[in-house]
Amino acid sequence: MTASDKTRSGFWDRLQRIDRRWVFLVIWLVVMLPLIFPFGIKPKAMPPVSRLFSYIDTMPEEKALAISIDYTPDTQAELHPMTIALLRHAFATGRRVGMLSTQVYGLGLGEEALRQVASEFNEKATTHEDSVINGEDYVFWGWSTPFLTVMLGMGERITNVFPVDYYGVTTESLPITPHIKNFNDIGIVVSIAGSSTPLSWVAYAQTQFGIRIGCGTTAVSAADYYTYLNSGQFTGMLAGMRGAAEYEQLLADKLAAAGSPLSLRRKATEAMSSQTAAHLAIIVFIVIGNIGYFVTRRGKQ
Amino acid sequence: MNIANPLTPEGIWVWVAAILTMAVFSFLYRENPFYRFAEHLFVGIANGYAITFYWHRILVPYLFSPVSQGQKLYLIPIAMIGALYFTRFIPKVSWLVRFPIAIALGYGAGASIPRSVDATIIQQLKATIVTRASFADWQQGVWAVIILLGVICTISYFFFSSERKGLLKPISYVGVVFIMVGFGASFGYTVMARISLFIGRLQFLLGDWLGLIR
Repeated sequence: MTASDKTRSGFWDRLQRIDRRWVFLVIWLVVMLPLIFPFGIKPKAMPPVSRLFSYIDTMPEEKALAISIDYTPDTQAELHPMTIALLRHAFATGRRVGMLSTQVYGLGLGEEALRQVASEFNEKATTHEDSVINGEDYVFWGWSTPFLTVMLGMGERITNVFPVDYYGVTTESLPITPHIKNFNDIGIVVSIAGSSTPLSWVAYAQTQFGIRIGCGTTAVSAADYYTYLNSGQFTGMLAGMRGAAEYEQLLADKLAAAGSPLSLRRKATEAMSSQTAAHLAIIVFIVIGNIGYFVTRRGKQ
Repeated sequence: MNIANPLTPEGIWVWVAAILTMAVFSFLYRENPFYRFAEHLFVGIANGYAITFYWHRILVPYLFSPVSQGQKLYLIPIAMIGALYFTRFIPKVSWLVRFPIAIALGYGAGASIPRSVDATIIQQLKATIVTRASFADWQQGVWAVIILLGVICTISYFFFSSERKGLLKPISYVGVVFIMVGFGASFGYTVMARISLFIGRLQFLLGDWLGLIR
């Protein structure tokens, strides 16, 4: 081995033993800077996202959208933008919405999403018809247990599963209830989850009642769920923050085409610059790590 | 820069959340008391929230209130069976916990096995079978064949009843390739997920707390 080979091998060796806190610092900067100085990225919707969007967009008018908040605050960053985007889409197209949660810790997130989106629409509303009103245009059924009973019971009669809504109002007394009695009145249930709950919706609600299921999932679970997309058991799927950004883009295009006065913040889309930069940084790390590994291995030989 | 005002009702909570976030992130440098404090606080609050929720939203309205008014008295024996879970804390009678567990397992298994078999095996098998309809367009047909090959080769890799030689050897080798591609896809998605969570926190710190981004 020549002296220059030894020096080169020593460099790569040191690089492989670098304190991992330097890596954390680089990732911190790489993620933070594009948030402050974003470079414009326009997400292009992939087929799983556009299929879900198209179905909700074109499903029969009398059918409601049901959103199941099956996530907790630990996955809020990835999944909450999906809930917001779905609610905006439903309200913009005049769909009734029923929301429930299979997670106790998800209740607050669902309530916050409904409050935020309803106020976005109500600020621009000029008539009662334009407004989005709790109990008339949407209902937050809340939480019940066990989820197996919830999923099977909703196919029979929703008010039996949720006698009172999240706010403690008797569901039978709500004006929306005659329009959403059971799964027959629901076009699709979209389960937004950081766990395997969408598969439970398929196994219980879809197998028993034939209801369509859509899925919003964390990126970690996405690879496992593609088989259910391929089999048609999922009508569509939003995978991670990127999926949410793609849905936001489709909705923005639709609202722009319709000349809507709504100007809505798109948190997932705003994050795409950082996401892209972080992915590039990690690819560079992996390449450098592999070069270092092979160089040091050759040095040892 | 428009930092959240800690003297307003909303601002104080933004500051609490921001300080706790920084305390958790401090673990990236090294283990420290701030991280420990945030961790223990989280566990305590999460449990306290859940217990309070179950008490006020489940036990009181669905059990104690109706029973105390003489309604739904059939709930009393059901609640007593459920209460047997607590016998775990009394070693002499801890065997009684088997009753509620047996009921829950029996109900769960009976309700889920037939439906899960249909959803996760039968429907998946149907989606794997290549038919004439699979070739409605050439791209769809190619993917259908790849999926079929992938399933056969991957299952072959997990066929342990005979030695891996002859035809089984190359087929299972292809199966390994499919498995590795699957692992790669999962890892890529995992990276994306973890970065997304970090972005979410930074959006909060830079936006809601420091006001650097809108």
